[in-house]
Amino acid sequence: MAEFDEQQQKLVLKIVFYGPALSGKTTNLMQLHSLLNPERMGELMVLETKDDRTLFFDMLPIGFRSRSGLDLRIKMYTVPGQVQHDSTRKAVLSRADGVVFVADSQHAQQHNNASTFENLDQNLQKVGIDIEQVPLAIQFNKRDLSDVVGEDVLRERWQPTPWPPVIMATAIRGEGVLETFQLLLRRLYAQLNPLYRLVERFQIDEATFVALLSRADKEVGHAGL
Amino acid sequence: MLDFEQEASLAELLTPDQLEKLGNLLSELAGCSLTVVETPATEGTAAPIEFNLDTVGWIQGPGPANIKTAAADIAAFLTYFITKYRWAANLHRNTTEENYDELQRQNDALKRSEERLQTLADSLQEQVDQQVEIIRSTQQELYESARLRAVGQLAAGVAHEINNPIGFIKSNLSVARDYVGELAEALPPDHRLDDTVEDFRALLEESLAGAQRIAAIVADLKTFSSIDQADYAECSVNELIQAAIHLVQTNQEPPLSIETRLNPLPQIHGHAARLSQALYNVLDNAAKAIAEGGQIRIESGLNEDGQICVQVEDSGCGTPEHLQDQVFDPFFTTRAVGSGTGLGLSVTRDTIQAHHGQISFKSSVGKGSLVRIMLPTSRK
Repeated sequence: MAEFDEQQQKLVLKIVFYGPALSGKTTNLMQLHSLLNPERMGELMVLETKDDRTLFFDMLPIGFRSRSGLDLRIKMYTVPGQVQHDSTRKAVLSRADGVVFVADSQHAQQHNNASTFENLDQNLQKVGIDIEQVPLAIQFNKRDLSDVVGEDVLRERWQPTPWPPVIMATAIRGEGVLETFQLLLRRLYAQLNPLYRLVERFQIDEATFVALLSRADKEVGHAGL
Repeated sequence: MLDFEQEASLAELLTPDQLEKLGNLLSELAGCSLTVVETPATEGTAAPIEFNLDTVGWIQGPGPANIKTAAADIAAFLTYFITKYRWAANLHRNTTEENYDELQRQNDALKRSEERLQTLADSLQEQVDQQVEIIRSTQQELYESARLRAVGQLAAGVAHEINNPIGFIKSNLSVARDYVGELAEALPPDHRLDDTVEDFRALLEESLAGAQRIAAIVADLKTFSSIDQADYAECSVNELIQAAIHLVQTNQEPPLSIETRLNPLPQIHGHAARLSQALYNVLDNAAKAIAEGGQIRIESGLNEDGQICVQVEDSGCGTPEHLQDQVFDPFFTTRAVGSGTGLGLSVTRDTIQAHHGQISFKSSVGKGSLVRIMLPTSRK
């Protein structure tokens, strides 16, 4: 859960990129690292990989300091997708404030998507988080490949859930990555604002929150607040 | 659980020695004295080491600002790798511990489940043993009650058939005895039949005594088999004892020496036939114990708890101590093959227990045995 340091007015949030093995979680994070231009951004920490597979986790910190004095930081993590790293997934997932589920669009991967989503649900429960409550954005990645499930089918399939719209992405080309991130930021803001009175106390509305954290325009100068 | 992703300052990540060495190396490169510190003396003259949006330390010392900034960047570059290693190590340790704990929990669960199975298996064996015991004793009871019923029916039949003829034999004999007197008087004075008449009279007397004895045995048989009674009824223990004594005596020639001291007892609610059988079995044992000579003493009375106490003591051969625990076991006998079923005391104990009473057995070889039966006077 979010940590708020009242004295330093520092709010630290945690977003976790979850999904089956090789669905493009790290690619999403790398794209965000190169696409985003927030006021503050740290190093992309890629802890350890083996044959392109994450063994521990990746982490990218971004943040801004508003004129109203709020020091807001978001740490974005990826989890290892391989089944055997479940303890690591659970450890990274603990205290998450938001989750991006990166699914693989290929027909052959639909079963993996489903079982990983179920695994997400179980691990969230284990760390005391309700999947219906946590801000969650769903992305279907690898739209550039040939053997993928149709967009209509996917949208229809996810329509009865609390999480549409699902975002279509080709993370390797940067497509859909920002869109997914912004969708999550909006859902995250909806939960944070009542808790920390972001508008009232720091004059940060949803548009500002999303803009400050996801601005991609490298020409934009300092935060407007 | 470690907070694997915790941000740490350079002073926390490195030992003082390492920090000093880093300072020395940077000083060497910069050509001026630089130190790596957690908090600078004055922020104005120090360069912050920025890493992941946090200041993890400061480069402090004289010298140009751009040199200190470069030194700080080198330190930040190092921090990146130290932190990466630290996080990976912490996470690895966390997950390893977690996995170990999980295995431990599964192991414990397995052990508990094994214990439950073992308990179940044990109790199953116990239950089977209990059931076997119930079946065994039920079979025993069935066998005994069937035997008793057969004996009872036979006794009732015999008693019924003998009762009428013995009645008129008795009455005829006594009339015949009177007739002998009349005949003797009617004889002429000079007859020489005195011896014959006397002998005739003695014959009739003896026959009458025999007939009376038969009548008494039949009466005892009737009591013993309780043909007149429902299964459970009010009965007198003393009467049952006497009937049993008579029955034992009928088989004996000469009669056994039996001393009785029967004190007045209240009626008890009981199964007369089975109680008779029980008392008879005890007496029969005593009689066999004194086959070579000896005496039987039977006492009855109320004890201080208001229970009926019957003691049958004999001065017979006795039972060796190591066999005394088994005397109530079915088919246990010390007699020669064919002369005892080994069921006597077993049946007696079952009957006494069915009447909520107790039975005990004491014996010493060469001195005799004592059987004590306690019967409650009121049913609980």
